[in-house]
Amino acid sequence: MTAQTLTKDAPIAAVEKSALSIIDYSLAYKTANGLIPALQNIDLTIPKGKTVGLVGESGSGKSSMAWSIMRYLPSNAVETGGAIRLAGEELLDYTPYQMMDIRGRRMSMVFQDPSTSLNPTIKLGEQIAEVLMRHRGLTKAQAWAEAEAALGRTGITRPKEMLQRFPHEASGGEKQRVVIATAFACEPELIIFDEPTTALDILTARQILDLFNQLREETNVSALYISHDLGLVSRVVDRVSVIHKGIIVESGSVQEVFRRPKADYTRQLIGAVPDPDRWVGVDAPGEPKTLLRIDKVGVRYGAPTKLQAMFWPTDAETVGFWGAKDISIDVRKGELLGVVGESGSGKSTIAKVLAGLQDFEGKLDFDGKAITSRNAIDRAYRRRVQIVFQHPDASLNPRHRIGTIIARPLKLYGIVPKHEIKARVAELLEMVRLPASYADRLPHQLSGGEKQRVAIARAFAAEPELVICDEVTAALDVSVQAAVAELLVKLQRNTGAACVFITHDLNLIRQLAHRIAVMHHGKLVDFFDRVDARSVDRDPYAKALLDAVPVHAGEPEA
Amino acid sequence: MRNFFSTPTAIVGTALLSVVCFAAIFGPWIAPYDPQAFDPLNRLQGPSPAHWFGTDQFGRDLLSRILNGAPSTVTFGVGATLIGVGIGSIIGVVAGVSGGWADSTIMRILDGLLAVPDLLFTLLIVTIFGGGMEHAMLAVAIAFAPGMARIARSAVLSVRTRDYVRAAVARGESGFYIVGAEVLPNALSPIVVEATIRVSFAIMIGATLGFLGLGAQPPSTEWGLMVAEARQFMFRNPWCVAVPGLSIAIAALGFNLFGDALRDSLDPKRSHG
Repeated sequence: MTAQTLTKDAPIAAVEKSALSIIDYSLAYKTANGLIPALQNIDLTIPKGKTVGLVGESGSGKSSMAWSIMRYLPSNAVETGGAIRLAGEELLDYTPYQMMDIRGRRMSMVFQDPSTSLNPTIKLGEQIAEVLMRHRGLTKAQAWAEAEAALGRTGITRPKEMLQRFPHEASGGEKQRVVIATAFACEPELIIFDEPTTALDILTARQILDLFNQLREETNVSALYISHDLGLVSRVVDRVSVIHKGIIVESGSVQEVFRRPKADYTRQLIGAVPDPDRWVGVDAPGEPKTLLRIDKVGVRYGAPTKLQAMFWPTDAETVGFWGAKDISIDVRKGELLGVVGESGSGKSTIAKVLAGLQDFEGKLDFDGKAITSRNAIDRAYRRRVQIVFQHPDASLNPRHRIGTIIARPLKLYGIVPKHEIKARVAELLEMVRLPASYADRLPHQLSGGEKQRVAIARAFAAEPELVICDEVTAALDVSVQAAVAELLVKLQRNTGAACVFITHDLNLIRQLAHRIAVMHHGKLVDFFDRVDARSVDRDPYAKALLDAVPVHAGEPEA
Repeated sequence: MRNFFSTPTAIVGTALLSVVCFAAIFGPWIAPYDPQAFDPLNRLQGPSPAHWFGTDQFGRDLLSRILNGAPSTVTFGVGATLIGVGIGSIIGVVAGVSGGWADSTIMRILDGLLAVPDLLFTLLIVTIFGGGMEHAMLAVAIAFAPGMARIARSAVLSVRTRDYVRAAVARGESGFYIVGAEVLPNALSPIVVEATIRVSFAIMIGATLGFLGLGAQPPSTEWGLMVAEARQFMFRNPWCVAVPGLSIAIAALGFNLFGDALRDSLDPKRSHG
């Protein structure tokens, strides 16, 4: 199959002209359990001036591919064959010393997280100028002038000031612009983008994507765009390759792959991308009854101590900052309430308040009982309100077996008699579609999605009336995300529990939630029924968020 | 844990440690001579078929003395560490779990104690308690406690903010359950590793105290004391200083390398490979 695509799509002459051609390349890692293949018979061609997307889930080998091209592999990597050619030159033959000249000048890379890819102790200007001096032989003054121009091209309003700043003085989006400016600085033939927007907020990510498209047109650079997000890739690349377990399962033009996927895996991946217009949630509760209401709830981090309040009452008003302020939301019985916002918007703070993990000001009204402080939250409340955390690796005690973990709420709240615990655990495991034999396993023997199912089973073991899901799908792969969301809906349908679903994924929440609350900088900016998502009286910020969401794969951009 | 023996550190450490432990357990029985028997005719001899490691200033067989001294030396190291780790861990866990002003108070006091070098601190305690093996052991244990408390506290703190602990809090678990079942088992490995490494320091401090005449008293076969007693005869027979000195080095190195290897294999980042 691989040989076919090569001859059909790219005759030998085109291979010579292409910016990058990878031919029948294989890579394996040497581990204690022998040689583990990471990439197998990869064929990938990036024509000059084109962008090719490489899409795959975590562990698919897409990052290994990036490092193979950059010739920066760990010492236990074994290349078992094939060729990687940059403009016809064989990179595999170059010595590490020769590669130093090529990296940065002829190929460069943009990483996922701009906060870790920039050196925190060096000014941003110096970090760009350094590359220019090293590869283009400019003097310091020339390099700084050139750096300013490069930053200006990335849409930073005051590039001169930005050059003088340190990384911590710039926002995530600004930092990523600096990284991109550095990558484009030497006008390389090829740039590798390794999930450049994953660590950024939706709105910033959207801007970075627009910037990427603009720079691509201006410079006519060839690029490899690596991502797990199909919707996003579909709007920036010309051709796309789908990689699964180290094998490219499908390649073709964007339209072709998304409209008429050939491989089963691609079809599965496309099906898993949340589509805001496809409703999968439970039916809305017939007659709305309020289960929980929070009234003007606020959380202040770094609140003044008693001493401060006593002696410096004026200062005490201003110290610390409000993680959330004046939030009033109500949750109805049996509904799914979506809380959306960017990182730092205070949405997780609200989750912590509801779960009784955070001190708060204001009033919390649960089923007719008013609670005004965290200490007033009793065990009965804690049983009826359960929380599922974002990272399944962190939320299960690594030393407890799955059976012990799920049985704990049963024992603690005395939900079933002692001799029935084992049977109930098996039942709960089955409810989240895991085999009963998993009860004897330890968390590290499970995959991320399976662990999240265990965490969900533990929450539902308490037979709660409200389940708080704090970004439960954010740490999971796309295809697993869909399955977990679907499972949650099924459990909700069977148990009638209400759910507060906290997320930054607007497409997903519009599939699930009856009502959506939008948070920004610790404040509730909008609260609406899902059917009104597109109505004109939406808050401008909510509107911007909805507009920034990547268009669904394959559909023409609006 | 599976690949514990994959590094040279682990192999060498375990080998040295087994030699030392073997000597500590069976030493007194396999010693060829009475460790206290004088033999004036064969004083200060080098290694020979009759005396494998030579003899000391009274003609006593060095091998027998080393083998006889092994149990007390190892017991001293392990015992002092165990007591020190016990005291330190309790303080550290209490500080880490309670947090707030209790934590600050305890840690500031410990910081003050940590500013005094281990050996000096031990000497200070020995001068208060008086010399002798038991007192020296207690002194080393007390000197170790602040450092161990710091490690225990940091282990507890790093575990305390994990989601599974927060999940337990959200469930309404009792504080006792949270500490006992969720926090402690996960905070234990750094404590165990540090303890193993500290045994080597305890052995060395014990030997130093013996050398200074503040630990074991003659005619004990404690290794540090043996070095001190043989010092005058160092130039006539270097063996009587080198043999106990090397024994101390081997015991300390064995515990140290073993501890290092243990840390590497318990480190989740490495063991998942």
